[in-house]
Amino acid sequence: MSNTVLVCDDAIFMRTMIGDILTQAGFEIVGEAESGLQAVQKYRELKPDLVTMDIVMPDMGGIEAVREICKQDPDAKILMCSAMGQQALVVEAIQAGAKDFVVKPFQPSRVLEAVQRVLG
Amino acid sequence: MADPKYAALFLAESREHLRSCNDLLLEWERKPGASEPVNGLFRAIHNMKGMAATLGYSAVADLAHRSENVLDAVRSGRASGTPELIQLLFKSVDALEKAVEGAQSGKGEPSAKLLAALDKAAVAAGGEKVPAEASPTGAAGSPAPGGNPGGGAPGAAARLPARAPAVPAGHLVGVTIRSGVPMRGARALLALRRVEVFGKITALRPPVVALEREDFDGRFSFHLRTGTETAAIEAAIRSAGDVERVAFDADVAVETEGPVVAARQIRIDLHRLDTMMKLVGELVVARNRMLELMRGGDAEQAELAGNVSRLVSDLQTQVVAARMTPVSEVFDRFPRLVRDLGRDLGKQIRFEMEGGSIELDRSILDELGDPLLHLIRNAADHGLESPQDRQATGKPPEGKILLSAVRERRTVAIRVTDDGRGIDRDAVLAKAKRDGLADPAADTLTDDVLLRVLARPGFSTAQQVSGISGRGVGVEVAFARARSMGGSLEVQSEAGRGTTFTMRVPLTLAIVRALLAQAGEERYAVPLAYVAETVEFDPQAVTVLRTREAVVVRDRVIPTVHLRDLVSAKAEGVPPRRPTIILEVGERRTALVVDGLLGQQDIVIEPFDAPRGLPPYVGGATILADGAPALILDAAALV
Repeated sequence: MSNTVLVCDDAIFMRTMIGDILTQAGFEIVGEAESGLQAVQKYRELKPDLVTMDIVMPDMGGIEAVREICKQDPDAKILMCSAMGQQALVVEAIQAGAKDFVVKPFQPSRVLEAVQRVLG
Repeated sequence: MADPKYAALFLAESREHLRSCNDLLLEWERKPGASEPVNGLFRAIHNMKGMAATLGYSAVADLAHRSENVLDAVRSGRASGTPELIQLLFKSVDALEKAVEGAQSGKGEPSAKLLAALDKAAVAAGGEKVPAEASPTGAAGSPAPGGNPGGGAPGAAARLPARAPAVPAGHLVGVTIRSGVPMRGARALLALRRVEVFGKITALRPPVVALEREDFDGRFSFHLRTGTETAAIEAAIRSAGDVERVAFDADVAVETEGPVVAARQIRIDLHRLDTMMKLVGELVVARNRMLELMRGGDAEQAELAGNVSRLVSDLQTQVVAARMTPVSEVFDRFPRLVRDLGRDLGKQIRFEMEGGSIELDRSILDELGDPLLHLIRNAADHGLESPQDRQATGKPPEGKILLSAVRERRTVAIRVTDDGRGIDRDAVLAKAKRDGLADPAADTLTDDVLLRVLARPGFSTAQQVSGISGRGVGVEVAFARARSMGGSLEVQSEAGRGTTFTMRVPLTLAIVRALLAQAGEERYAVPLAYVAETVEFDPQAVTVLRTREAVVVRDRVIPTVHLRDLVSAKAEGVPPRRPTIILEVGERRTALVVDGLLGQQDIVIEPFDAPRGLPPYVGGATILADGAPALILDAAALV
């Protein structure tokens, strides 16, 4: 059975792109979230194997969402999607429990590497 | 008179050496046969001797020289680390500290008794006695005229890492992150997280701040106290991704000796940082004012304003970062203190510390020493039982005190936990009722009320309250100090199981990000560190929690406070839609209902001598961007 993924990003463009990269590699996208709040709710409902999480989102940012999700499930496998220059936020996300990160603009190979590490 | 620049260097260096001396003595006491602590002590004291002699501080140099003789005897195997000898050296380090602090004013001469005891120990081991005519200066090599000294010069001695020699069991690990990949610092932190499951990480170079700021060349090293094999450690590190090289022990030492790490540090007078912080604070206020005035300007003006604004923010971040200091600076003095307390009280105490690498603004750190001292003393004195009492109740004879720091959002929680008898609630409740502090009908005492009672000035002077007497003083100090920094103090206590005091403090003082709220005509600032979220006030969701009004937010019942009522704003003109700020301090929440939210702003907390009779919910004052003053609400007092 293929691994399930929840993609969280407020931009449709990014969700589509990440979705494509992962689907082509054989993952199953089981849900999408446009805000941190949705991410937390959908995580609870869908229990995905992996979450990709944008940092800056409306209604509870990505870091806060990581914190919430990890509170419910300390083993949650969350991959942060960060833009250049968000070093401090990435650090905060790691401290909050994120397992790895990729930096935009995405190279499919690097995204997949990170995903393998997280699921490893 | 010594050049003031060298005198200051001497003082700073010596304090570091003294601190590591205390650590090393504690380590030696645990492992009396080990040679590393002895070598480390010898080096530290030798360095102090060299500096002191150069500056003509004969009391320090003399005492250091005699201590060194004793250590040399141990080093060469003529004497051994008996408890008496180690105790003697503890005393001599204490005396050295006094001598160092008093060196410039010529005070702090060590007692003749101590000097005699040191000589006796050295002579007993067949070592050299200090010849009466030999000046300690001679022993350290004569300083060259003109002040450019030889081996013991401040400059040369200064750069030696004082604690490098004491390497406990485990591995030194060196990691290189591949070059050319983004966010190598975050990658490094990820690798650290992967290995921290194996054991304790110490001696991280470069420090965490540098990694967080990406201020390193991709190489970092640390010591991992673990029994895990290197292959497993390497695999864990590599699983963080983008790892080019992992090296262990001897292979690492060569790399980190390079100038990359060492040359990037300088000492800065704290006073300068304070001044810088103050100037940046004023700059932030001026920036806010400027943005306000330039609103509605043309595109070019807007761009300029945006640039200046960003630069000021960056500058502020850098100055704040420069002031961040690991809490171990304060924590490290306590193992020695607890050891002495244990001896004095006849108790066996195991003292543990966690989170020493967590960083706080220097000015906050400086305020923490006192209250923590009180809380730890209380834990040792009143919290922990005697070994006999502990065994009688089935506990191990050795009591435990844990001092820990944890980062929580934009605050740091510092806890002092003991596994002692817990606070006698019945006794406190009875006393509180007698003093009219508690409802006569109450039959239980919540942690909140307990704290309020304990923190009352003079509460502890009541001798009849067994098991808690004396607690009040320390709690009062800790409570007042935490509040004055915009933090809070909490207590949890369970009979027979122990007590935890939690001091929560902001990461930094001076400039904080705040949410501006309106009630009536006035504006108020709420520090963002305590804001969990904001929601719309929903009259439908109002309910009653015990006797208080509350609202239901996301399935949680949260007591409400209406800012209007609090500040007695006129009732007219209540807006139909009212935002609600959910304040969070530790586990407790309060919904603060306001008339409107006016956005976020960096505010500079103005020094504020609280006049008596000021409402408790006011934590300070500030000047807003438009130049008008506003009060800062104290979240801890509202929840």
